[in-house]
Amino acid sequence: MNCKEALPLIHEYLDGDLQGSDSQRLKEHLISCQACHALFRQLEKTDAMVRMLPPVRVSETLTAQIMSGLPPVKKRNSWMDFIRKHPAVSVAVVFATVMFGSFMSMWNDDTNLMVKGSNLQDVVIEGNTVTVPQGHTVKGDLVVQRGKLKVEGEVTGNLIVIDGSLNLASTAHISGHVTQVDEALGWVWYKLGEFVGMLSH
Amino acid sequence: MNFVEARLAKLARNGDRNAFAELVELYKDKIFHLAYRMLNNKQEAEDAVQETFLRVYTNLHRYDENQKFSTWIFRIGTNLCIDKLRRRKNTYSLDAEMPDGEGNDYYAMLPSHEDTPEKQVIVSETQEQIRQAIETLPEKYKSVVILRYLHDMSLQEISDVLDMPVTTIKTRVHRGREYLRKRLEQEDQVGYTNPVHM
Ligand SMILES: [Zn+2]
Repeated sequence: MNCKEALPLIHEYLDGDLQGSDSQRLKEHLISCQACHALFRQLEKTDAMVRMLPPVRVSETLTAQIMSGLPPVKKRNSWMDFIRKHPAVSVAVVFATVMFGSFMSMWNDDTNLMVKGSNLQDVVIEGNTVTVPQGHTVKGDLVVQRGKLKVEGEVTGNLIVIDGSLNLASTAHISGHVTQVDEALGWVWYKLGEFVGMLSH
Repeated sequence: MNFVEARLAKLARNGDRNAFAELVELYKDKIFHLAYRMLNNKQEAEDAVQETFLRVYTNLHRYDENQKFSTWIFRIGTNLCIDKLRRRKNTYSLDAEMPDGEGNDYYAMLPSHEDTPEKQVIVSETQEQIRQAIETLPEKYKSVVILRYLHDMSLQEISDVLDMPVTTIKTRVHRGREYLRKRLEQEDQVGYTNPVHM
């Protein structure tokens, strides 16, 4: 063995990776070569010295600092809790969520007022307030999402207010049902009911 | 595989703050030790520890329970320190000369070592020399040397932490060791004390 071959083997030895026969060959070289033996001892001592470096102490307040730096705990999703508490129903919810995935994403992302109906020419929209003025008639259903609905006139179909408020004046006349949906879960149930209604038609 | 840590991580992922606090207790010293040796500045090291745990916390959903938690947190911590070192280097080279025209270069701005935790106790000259030798190690050898010697990791573990082949880690350990030997030889720490007798 020459000195060039010895150096990598010295490193291997210090890594704890040197195999039997190589180990024997290195030993023989170190006995016969003063330079490599000295180098070996220097490297060995370097390793020992570096390992000697003591750990540093952390400040007492570090844990508190870390914990207080964390983002606040997210508000638990109320309908996820619902699923957890009512596993039997969750199948239906999953079904509804899958079926109406597009409605759900609309629920989460959209913050704009939405007014839906087949007959809207008698409806007055100002800001997020939707008014059916006195003496006017909306034929069919009226759906208002994320807005204030004020009915002074007549609606011949159903009235549905999603995530908004409803104000029925004394002059109002609704022929169908009045439904108010306030939460995402209610919205899912509402869409599911609509879907089931559609199936049973 | 440490099941306790995987379990704590799982609890923390589901919003259990106490479980996360336990992980902090288990790892804050180790990560601080790592960051302090990498950055050689107590304040920066504390910031790095805090940032590491923040990243761990916000990425808990990505933690794979089949992986050792220690590997994962060390990877986050090491990468963060390497980033900080690189950013520091860029900042310093950009304004190597301060605009006050007095010729203050960044050496003047380097934090003094007066307030390092080690100075609070009496430290041997040898330890001070080792500390300085590690400080001057090029970054790619530094992380390997610190993980190898100060955290007692195997080459395989370091390869997992740094996400590099074991052969690369091996080469870096060898070069790092060689570098330190030369540094300490200059300081006459590992020099010939006695002639070698065979
Ligand atoms: Zn030789």
